[in-house]
Amino acid sequence: MIYCFYVAMCLCLLILQTTVFPHLPLLDSFYDLLIPFIVYLALYRPLREGLLLVLFLGFIMDNISGGPFGLYLTTYCWLLIGVIGTTKFVQVGNRILLSMVVAAGVLIENMLFLAIFTITGPDVNLPAGAWSTVVIELLWALGTGPFFLIFFKYGHGRVDHLMDAMLARQR
Amino acid sequence: MLSKKMALIIGVIVLITFNIIFLSATSKSYTSFGLGRVAISFVAPFQELFTRTIRFARGIWEHYFFLVAVSHENLQLKQSLNQAIETNSQWREVELANIRLRSLLNFQKTTTHRVLAAEVIGKDPSPWFKTVIIDKGKADGLHKGLPVVIAQGIAGQITETSDHYSKVMLIIDRNSAVDAVVQRTRARGVIKGDSTDLCQFDFVLQKHDVRIGDIVVASGFDGVYPKGLPIGWISDAGKREAEIFQEITVTPYVDFEKLEEVLIVLNPPGNDFTSEK
Repeated sequence: MIYCFYVAMCLCLLILQTTVFPHLPLLDSFYDLLIPFIVYLALYRPLREGLLLVLFLGFIMDNISGGPFGLYLTTYCWLLIGVIGTTKFVQVGNRILLSMVVAAGVLIENMLFLAIFTITGPDVNLPAGAWSTVVIELLWALGTGPFFLIFFKYGHGRVDHLMDAMLARQR
Repeated sequence: MLSKKMALIIGVIVLITFNIIFLSATSKSYTSFGLGRVAISFVAPFQELFTRTIRFARGIWEHYFFLVAVSHENLQLKQSLNQAIETNSQWREVELANIRLRSLLNFQKTTTHRVLAAEVIGKDPSPWFKTVIIDKGKADGLHKGLPVVIAQGIAGQITETSDHYSKVMLIIDRNSAVDAVVQRTRARGVIKGDSTDLCQFDFVLQKHDVRIGDIVVASGFDGVYPKGLPIGWISDAGKREAEIFQEITVTPYVDFEKLEEVLIVLNPPGNDFTSEK
């Protein structure tokens, strides 16, 4: 059930990102919506769940994106590990820190992408306007990241509640 | 002496006469002798209060029903307007789709190649890569390497296919390269993507005459894109002393932000991917 919820959520985010946002003028430079989801998994879910989903998501994203295969997989895995590692030393409780974590995730993803771009791509130069894109994405992440985390947490809570009720009825 | 009874009758008659005379006199010109102001000053505030209260209550009552009626009317009008807007929008969409499809159809008629129409259903999740997903795949006869075009010019190339969907790498992607020539001077080069909405026209020798506004078309030498298909126009060109090649920027004819329908050329001049298969 919980995995159904995760898959449904991922699908919604993916569709939002690939079919809705590109048509909206302000949101065409929005960050990867799966980053807050991975941050959420890293912060609030067991590693087993997170890892499975990251592999699934990375695989899907690598397939629908034009980047080299494994780019998203790598990024998401590192992001998951990085956030889990960070939370061992830093307590991420308030919204400001959550914003920072999501923004850091966006930054890590973009840095990895740009690095791969320049290393494996035909041209060593960065695309024109690359830094402005990164800055816009970071600003979006800082502004909206925690809300996504809250939303995921709330959605998860509802699903848990639903599952408990169903189990209680069965007994 | 007058009896009591008689005195009462006379008194009544005098009073009536006086009353008549008084009324006759006062009926000719109105006067309150100054007392009217006092009475008015005393009574009028209360009158005013009550009148206003009643009017207010009546106003609320009447306007409430009036507003309910107006609200209903407003709602109906809004619904009608929304329906009209929706219908209008649908018509507009149909009209635009019609224009686009007519354009594609004209292109389909004029081109000698066998083409298949497809719809763009999704865009790349990353801003760094320029790919789109179309709603046709292997089941429709598509395979890796087929060129994707629209009436305005070349859009890209299929890089991956599933049974019913395919991924198209657009010519603005950094991994894309199209062998091209300048239509006017036949100067040859390679159109490469820049992950922006523009392309670079690389490997054009300094000796060639290239001007802003020149049209760039596919040369057909890459074995992927049919010869002569328009790609874009030169929007910036510059020569550097020490360089062998010119620095040229090409603005594609295809508006990739608004790409909705595309045509896939099913019988391209010949490509390596087919032979790989």
